[in-house]
Amino acid sequence: MRSAVASPPPGLAPGRARGDGAAIVRITALKKTFGDLEAIRQMSFDVGDGEFLSVLGPSGCGKSTLLMMIAGLIDPTAGEIRVQDAKVAGPRREVGVVFQSPVLLPWRTVLQNVLFPIELLKLPRPQYRRRAMELLRMAKIDEYAGLLPRQLSGGMRQRVAICRALVHDPSILLMDEPFSALDAITRDEMAVELQRIWQANRKTVIFVTHSIREAAFLSDRVVVMGRRPATIIDELAIDLPRPRHIAVTEDETFNRLVRHLRKAIEASHAE
Amino acid sequence: MRNNIGKYAATIAWPVLVTALILLAWELSVRALGIRSIILPPPSVVFETMAQRHDLLFAHLWPSLYLTVLGFVLSVIGGIVVAVLITYSAIVRKGFYPVIVVSQVIPKISIAPLFIVWFGTGTMSSLLLAFLVAFFPMTINAAMGFESIDEDIHRMARTFMGSRWQIFWKIRMPNALPYIFGGMKISITLAIIGVIVSEFVASQEGIGYLIKLAGGLLDTPLMLAAIVALSISGLALYAIIAAAESWAVYWQPPPEAVGVAGG
Repeated sequence: MRSAVASPPPGLAPGRARGDGAAIVRITALKKTFGDLEAIRQMSFDVGDGEFLSVLGPSGCGKSTLLMMIAGLIDPTAGEIRVQDAKVAGPRREVGVVFQSPVLLPWRTVLQNVLFPIELLKLPRPQYRRRAMELLRMAKIDEYAGLLPRQLSGGMRQRVAICRALVHDPSILLMDEPFSALDAITRDEMAVELQRIWQANRKTVIFVTHSIREAAFLSDRVVVMGRRPATIIDELAIDLPRPRHIAVTEDETFNRLVRHLRKAIEASHAE
Repeated sequence: MRNNIGKYAATIAWPVLVTALILLAWELSVRALGIRSIILPPPSVVFETMAQRHDLLFAHLWPSLYLTVLGFVLSVIGGIVVAVLITYSAIVRKGFYPVIVVSQVIPKISIAPLFIVWFGTGTMSSLLLAFLVAFFPMTINAAMGFESIDEDIHRMARTFMGSRWQIFWKIRMPNALPYIFGGMKISITLAIIGVIVSEFVASQEGIGYLIKLAGGLLDTPLMLAAIVALSISGLALYAIIAAAESWAVYWQPPPEAVGVAGG
């Protein structure tokens, strides 16, 4: 247990890959083919410790495949992924994953769902029960701890899934279009909530999305993937102060960043 | 809560009313048309017979129910074990599963006389036939339940480094429970049929034997009394399983209508 050990001084912007150097995820010459289908041609990038990195790209460009490879669920065809200087060869304890759908177990209550990884990893339950309750409180769903998933709304369920991914205190959180199934209003709300949770926990986040606004709003840095066979076609630092409010999306600076990202994606389509 | 009970009462009230009306029509028409008891006794006579000859009815009901429940329990255990093999063994899944599915078309009841040849007229034949007919729907349902886990749930468990054993007990098993109970509801009704048919073919006791005997004696009231007693028992067994289901599968909202696939 070393929950808050690696946190940078409070109030400061978390570290980036560039600058302070400490990369927690290193992706080198990554390639993935499924039979004849070339999903990812060649891809290299680093993710800094504590960084919020978005991987932005059109639907079906292989973003999820990339994330599943980082999670150790799929093997790369060539190249390598290193997490904390160790080559990824399977799922790892220091990684938590949030999927597109909440994938909660319908027979477990909210709290039991959040504690599911603790059971699988055989960690001491009483200790983590407290942590689970803290996470639920932070996600503002602690009053629903005893309810079953079917009694919650879509947004609430995804919050539970985020708490579940964080409960064993992983250093890296992988998120695969976690808000894509939610309505636009809930989506904005969840983006603000996620930022708050991230700032409180100081995890490294790799966030896959096809929403330009979402990527620009949440990230320290955005990596843009082109269409299949995917490569990285652009990279953009988002230097907006935090905490960001949803109103920031109306600022000229924000919109300039969004335009830049949109152009990058459109350029890849025009090819 | 009160609202739920009200709803429950409403769903019960209509079928009860319809049943009462049918019994009333039966009673009145038999009396009005002067149909003899040997052809069709009125319900009042059937119930009277049940009350008067309850010793005889129970004496034959117990062995049948005992064999039914035993055959059913064995089919549940056997079905789940085979379903686990289907889930985890490629050989069983590819080789045996299709055979099991195709063998469903064999009217297994037709094997009853063969069982008599092999195992004699005792309880063994009845038990085996009950097991045989109840086993297949149980196996197929349980296998479907184990197989039908969401790919994302499986992936989620793998990211948390869940072992096969953990994934089986914590995901596949609870996921299969609704399917298993669905299979149990089919199996219990089939197990009854298995026992009764076996008793029809050759037996010295049991409610199936009693029905056949009463038929031979042209004692139609006794025959109907036995049939009613058997039906009530079957209903009770089904209700026990349905109650166990709503207790065990607490996370599913109760279905509006209960569908039972016949065999």
